[in-house]
Amino acid sequence: MNRKIMSAFGIAAAASLALTGCGGQDEPAAADGPVTISLAGWDFASTPEFQTLADAYHEANPDVTVELKEYPAGDDYDTALTADLAAGAAPDVFIVKNLKNYITFQEGGTLLDISDVAGELDPETGGLEPMSVDGATYAVPYRQDSWLLYYNKELFEKAGVDLPDGSWTWDDYAEAAEQLTEGIGEKQVTGTYLHSWQSTVQGFALAQTEGAALDGGDFSFLAPYYERELALQDAGAQPSYATVTTNELAYQSQFGTQKAAMLPMGSWYIGTLVAEQESGTADTFEWGIAPIPQLDESTTGTENTPVTFGDPTTMGISSDIDESKVETAKDFLRFAAGPDGAAALAEIGITPALIDDAVADAIFGLEGVPQDELSRFAYTTHDTLPENPVGQKTAAIQTILGELHSAVMSESTPVDEAITEAEERVANEVG
Amino acid sequence: MATPVADDRRTLGLPQPERPPLRKPRTSLKLRNALVGWTFILPNFAGFAVLTLVPVLTLFYISLTSWNIFGAAQWVGLDNFARLVGDKSFHTALGNTFYYAALHIPITIVASLSLALLLNQKLRGAAFFRTVAFFPYITSIVAVAVVWNMLFSPEYGPINQFLSLFIGGEMPGWTVSKDWAMPAVIIVGTWKDMGYYMLLFLAGLQTVPGELQEAARIDGANAWQRFWNVTLPCLRPTMFFVTVMVTIQSFKVFDLILVMTDGGPGQATLVLSQYIYQKGFEQFEFGYASAVAVVLFFICIIVTVVQFVYNKRKEA
Repeated sequence: MNRKIMSAFGIAAAASLALTGCGGQDEPAAADGPVTISLAGWDFASTPEFQTLADAYHEANPDVTVELKEYPAGDDYDTALTADLAAGAAPDVFIVKNLKNYITFQEGGTLLDISDVAGELDPETGGLEPMSVDGATYAVPYRQDSWLLYYNKELFEKAGVDLPDGSWTWDDYAEAAEQLTEGIGEKQVTGTYLHSWQSTVQGFALAQTEGAALDGGDFSFLAPYYERELALQDAGAQPSYATVTTNELAYQSQFGTQKAAMLPMGSWYIGTLVAEQESGTADTFEWGIAPIPQLDESTTGTENTPVTFGDPTTMGISSDIDESKVETAKDFLRFAAGPDGAAALAEIGITPALIDDAVADAIFGLEGVPQDELSRFAYTTHDTLPENPVGQKTAAIQTILGELHSAVMSESTPVDEAITEAEERVANEVG
Repeated sequence: MATPVADDRRTLGLPQPERPPLRKPRTSLKLRNALVGWTFILPNFAGFAVLTLVPVLTLFYISLTSWNIFGAAQWVGLDNFARLVGDKSFHTALGNTFYYAALHIPITIVASLSLALLLNQKLRGAAFFRTVAFFPYITSIVAVAVVWNMLFSPEYGPINQFLSLFIGGEMPGWTVSKDWAMPAVIIVGTWKDMGYYMLLFLAGLQTVPGELQEAARIDGANAWQRFWNVTLPCLRPTMFFVTVMVTIQSFKVFDLILVMTDGGPGQATLVLSQYIYQKGFEQFEFGYASAVAVVLFFICIIVTVVQFVYNKRKEA
C-alpha cells in the first residue's frame, strides 16, 4: 500500500518535472514544480514539532509539501520503523529517535550519505559532531535537549537555603538536598527528585568524568555518582528508587506539585512545566533553571562551560527515496537543522539543535518561563555530550548498564560488585 | 487450497452405477468425510500456516545466521548455539524461566482446582464469585502490573503493612529485591491465570458422574477419599489439558515480567522470552535471538511430549 502511494508520488513528481521541463537538470530539484516528500514521526497529537517543521518549510517553499506519516510513540517507533525500513517501505525522511540505533540503521544501508548537508550546517549545531561515522554523516540533529537543574524558588526560601548560583558541584547539590528536606520539614516533600532512568546517574558520570567511555571496559567512573545517589536516598533527601518504580512516580507531578524542591531533567521539561502551570495540572510557583551540578570546580561558575549530556534527535533520508526527490529532501533537512527550523521549533517551546540568541529570545519570551540571568545562562551555555555515543556496541552495553542501574539503585547489589559484574559481562557478552 | 472442496463436489456429483459395488462407496464416504473435515479446519489452518508455521520454520533458518534485519542474513551454521553455551545472561534467563515454571505450574493448578471445587458447590452467589475469580484473566496486564507494583511497594505498600502486623524484622523488598522479585511475579502470575484454568476445571467437574460419588458415599468414603479416588481420576483429561497449557504458558512468560519488573532488579527476573526480545528488538541480533527462541521452542516441545507420553501410559 505504502509503496503504491509512494511510487504514485514518485510518478507524479517525475511527471510534473517533465511537464515543467526541469527533468534531468543538474540544479537542485528543490522548489522546481510541486514535490511531496514524506516524513516519519510519532504521536502527532502531543508532538507538534513535525507539523511545525512541515508547515514552516511549506511556507518557505510553497511547491514542496511535507507529508507526515504517523508511527507509534515510545519504543514502538523504532520497532515499527525498523520493520518498514527492512521492507523497503519507509518514508523519504525519518527521525532517528534513539541514537543507539543510528549505527544499525547506517550499517544496514537504510540511510543516505548526507555529509554535504552536514557540511553546510553551523558547526555550533548541538550533537552534529557525534553523528559522523568514518568521516561521513547520515543524519543531522534538528533538536538537542540537554539536562539542567530545575529548582523551586519558593521551597528554597521556605527552607532558608541559598538558591543555586551556577557554582555547584554534585556534592553541593547533595548538601542542599539534605538541607532542603530538613528545612522544609514536611513529610512527603523531599529536597530533590531523581527519576528512575539509568541516564539520571550514568549520563552525567559518562559526560563529566574525564576519560570515561562506554566501550572502554572500565565502569569505575560510575561509582562516585552511584554512591552519592544512594546516600541521598538513604538520608531521605529524595524518594528511594523502590518508591519511584513501584509507585510509578512521575517527575512532572513530583516537581510540578511541589513534592520536590529540585529536579535534574532534560530541557524538554521547560515547555511541559509552563503548559502544566497554565492548565492547572501543576501548582503555580516560582521556579528557575540552573546549570546541572558538575563533578568538580573546574567546570563550575558562569565563566566556564558546564558539562551535561543529552542525545540529539536527528533526521536522515531513506536510501529507498526516489532519486528525483533527494535534493528536495536534503533541502528540507538543511532547513530543519538550520536557523529557520530552529526558530520555528523554539516558538513552540522545543529546544532545537542550533541555539542562537533568536532561539533563546523565543524560548524566554514564552509566558511562564523564568527570566533570571542564571536560567538563560543554563539554557544557552553548555557542553552537551551524548548519552549513547555512536558505536556498534552501545545498545548491548546500555542493556547491561541498565541492569546495573536497577540492581544498584534498588540496593540489591553493592556498587563495586555491580560494576565488576557489568565489566565482566561486557567483556564476555559484547566482546 | 480451495481445490479439495471443488474435488469434493465433483466426487459427490459422480453417478453411482459407474462405481464398483461394495468397496467404493465406503472409500468415497471416507474421502468425503475427510474432505468435509479438512474444509472445516482450513480457515484455522490457513491462519496458522501464515502466522505461525511459516514464521517458526523461518526461525530455524534465521537461528543459523547472523542477521541484523537489514540486508541479507549471513550463514554462520551453529555459531549462535555455540555462543549460547558460554553466555552467562542466557544461563541466568534459562534458570529464571525454570524457577518461574517450577513454582507457577503447581501453584496455579492447585489454586485453580481448589477454586473450581469450591465454586462447584451449590453456593449462594456462586456465579458472582466465579466471575470475580475469572476477572483477573481478562484484565489488562499493564493495569494489573501497575496496581500490584503499588501493593508490593516495600515502604508504603499495603502488603508489607499487613505483614508487619504479624512478623517483625525486615520486610520483603518484593519487586525491588533480587530475592523477592521472582516470588512477587509468580504470585501475580498465579492470581491472574487461575481464573481461566478454574473455568476449565469447572467444565471438567460437570462430567464427573454423580452416581460414582453417590456410590462412594454409600461405601463410607469421606470427602478426601471421594476427591482422591473419584473426582481426580474422572478429571484426568481436563487435568492433562490444563497441565500442558499451564506449562507452555509458564515457559513463555513475557508480558507480565516486562511490565512488572522489566527483568530486574539486575537480571533477577530476566526470562527467556524477554532475553529474546532484548537481543532481537533492542540490539538487532535477530540471528542470535532466534537461536534462543529455538531453545525455548524445544523446551516447550520436550516438556509437552513427556506429558503426552506420561498421559498415554496412565491411560493404558
